[in-house]
Amino acid sequence: MPMWRVVLLLNLTLAVGLGFGYGVWGHRLAALDGELKTVQARLERLEREREACVTGARVGEQQWEGRGIVRAIYPQLLLITHEEIVGLLPARTTGFRAATSANHGRASVGDPIRFWLRGTGTGNVILVRMEPW
Amino acid sequence: MTALLFAAMAVHLAACVLVTGAFFVLLVAGPPPISTMRRWEQSVLSAARWLVLVALGSGAIWMVVRTALFEGRSDAALEAQAIRHAMLDTWPGLVWTVRHGLLIVLAAFLLTGGNVSVRRNWIAARGEAFVLAALALVLLAASGHAAAISESRWPSAIDMVHLLGAGIWAGGLPPLALLLYIASRNVVAPAPYAVRAMQRFSRLALVTVLILAGSGIATASLLVGSVAGLVGTAHGHLLLAKLGVLMLALLLAAANRALLPALSGPNEGKASATAGRMALFIAIEAGLVLVLLGLAAAMTLTTPATHGDPIWPWPVRLSLDELLDVPVVKVLAQLRSELVLAGLGLAVLAIALLIRRWRMLLIGLAFVLIASGAAVGLPSLMVEAYPTSYARPPVTYNAGSIAEGMAVYQANCVSCHETPTLGREASSGRAVDLRSRLIARRTAGELFWLITHGQPERGMPKFGSRLGEAQRWHVINFLRVFGAASDPHRITTEVEPDRAWLAAPDFTISVGPLTPRTLRDYRGQRMVLLVLYDLPQSRTWMTELARHYGALSVLGVEVVAVSPHTSPNAIAELGASPPVLFPVLTDGNEDINATYRLFTPGATHAEFLIDRQGYIRAIWRSDQTGIPDAAAIQAQVERLNEEKAPPPLPDDHIH
Repeated sequence: MPMWRVVLLLNLTLAVGLGFGYGVWGHRLAALDGELKTVQARLERLEREREACVTGARVGEQQWEGRGIVRAIYPQLLLITHEEIVGLLPARTTGFRAATSANHGRASVGDPIRFWLRGTGTGNVILVRMEPW
Repeated sequence: MTALLFAAMAVHLAACVLVTGAFFVLLVAGPPPISTMRRWEQSVLSAARWLVLVALGSGAIWMVVRTALFEGRSDAALEAQAIRHAMLDTWPGLVWTVRHGLLIVLAAFLLTGGNVSVRRNWIAARGEAFVLAALALVLLAASGHAAAISESRWPSAIDMVHLLGAGIWAGGLPPLALLLYIASRNVVAPAPYAVRAMQRFSRLALVTVLILAGSGIATASLLVGSVAGLVGTAHGHLLLAKLGVLMLALLLAAANRALLPALSGPNEGKASATAGRMALFIAIEAGLVLVLLGLAAAMTLTTPATHGDPIWPWPVRLSLDELLDVPVVKVLAQLRSELVLAGLGLAVLAIALLIRRWRMLLIGLAFVLIASGAAVGLPSLMVEAYPTSYARPPVTYNAGSIAEGMAVYQANCVSCHETPTLGREASSGRAVDLRSRLIARRTAGELFWLITHGQPERGMPKFGSRLGEAQRWHVINFLRVFGAASDPHRITTEVEPDRAWLAAPDFTISVGPLTPRTLRDYRGQRMVLLVLYDLPQSRTWMTELARHYGALSVLGVEVVAVSPHTSPNAIAELGASPPVLFPVLTDGNEDINATYRLFTPGATHAEFLIDRQGYIRAIWRSDQTGIPDAAAIQAQVERLNEEKAPPPLPDDHIH
């Protein structure tokens, strides 16, 4: 075989081998990473639904746990500066509707608390329980 | 172990460079037409085969020694599991694997040979060998310092260009020397093949050296960064040595270039002698380049100068700070005679370059005039310097450090220097005013030296044995704030557009048990209105802020409130109506107050507007300027939002 063909074949092999391997490996890694994140998110959601179910929630509802500091108390609303609520909200100050069972009237402004939210997602959650942190 | 690593790296680098250069010279010279030149080609190919094997062997030793250093134990060098981990689970190991894969392919390619009598096949074979060797060489940059210290890909790309240039120029010298030596043995005339090869290589080498210079300067600016780094660190010293050897090599290259016309001249006997002389010069150049490659390998084992603490070697340094607040005209008038001398020198130099007669004499005169101007003018710009002049403080510029520094200062320094409250003069007439521009222009490292070693001639004792190293740096952080707070051009109640100079000391924002943040976390995102309050006097202003917090938040401002003392009930103390939704610190209050109240001594309530880059842009105090209402604050915030070019982020350490 002429040398130039040998060189061409060699370069094609290197290019295809390295490129294909990198592309497939890199692409596969990204795909696996995405799959992992999706499965993890699904697992966390199922865990939250299970915890909500144990406490008497309706089908499809989830339960989240958060920690924060009470900033304002209203008859139906509690303003809390909270840390990230995994799967629901980033760290910020949020107003949550409070269920009667939560006894939020006992809290005072400035109290650090742990609290539990129940609902189907952002915009549709209610604070069901709280305790001192 | 380090010596073995250095030896392996140096041999490996030299082998890769020489293989790349060998095939480049073969390509530049072209297929050899006569038997002597074919023998030369075979010698080069034979040497290249051996060099590839040497590169593989030295590379293997390099990986084994690296594994031992990576694992922190010598016996790891012989453990297959440890070597596999280093090769496949680390980025440098992966790069090494790919590179040596290419070298193995190259070795197999060279060892199998093939029929290259047809020109096309010859070019394909030599070109392929060059590409494989060059790839194996340039990929060294992917695991080098430049790749490690920058997230951008440009430093790696520039490093790769530098390596390729080294391979082409430095690696091509030995086969070229051999070619010219063989050509010089022809008593009639050097073979035209060799002459053409030399001419082509010379043209390409000129371009390559310029590319090497450019890429080298770019890499040095990233890894060395300053004159202090160049003269004060091991990395910088090695670079200086490398530059010195390079200068010698370039002088020889210039001499060779001057001999080039004689190589193809009509006098055949002289041409042969010229070829022999050029072969000798190129061989010496190649020897110098091998030394240069050794220095380059040694540099990879040292910490880049930008990451180390330079030790300044001279008792003085150049400082242009004196020119900062002197009008340009006045400076020019002061430097009148020096500028005239330097200007005359430049004019003479320009004339010398244009005319040929007495050129050397005129160039000499030009340098004498310029040197005289510098000798007269430069001393006025020199300031005293110390080994730690360019040391980087290990302590960041934060409120905790400044408060600690103030305590140390009050315990050790006030007997001679000022107290931290403004207005009190130094109790000793000889003590320097620590708020003066003189102190502000001293680098942090120089202050550290003075505190450590004292100034016996001025009666200042040394504190090196009395205060720990961290304590001395805390005092220097405090002195920076102390000086800034006394600056007559200090921050006012109005934001001055495009004038950001006062970096806000960092501090931790702890609100109850929530995950703490720092002031630094807001950089690039939000402005901060730092409020130092004290109840009950601040009640009205705090209520106003609570009511208008939403509007300020929309404009990109976070309000951070700090009471005088740490209290877990700080939020509750502010009341529930209106609700206070901004962060109210419950920890670390004393340090923040001690630091920021240096700017507002005596004020019960003070507010600091800090821009998105982390600079203090406006200060209000209840006792003097008054506290503005929300609308006035919003007006200043809007001024900041209208700034077109944000200032660069301040460093986390003082200088």
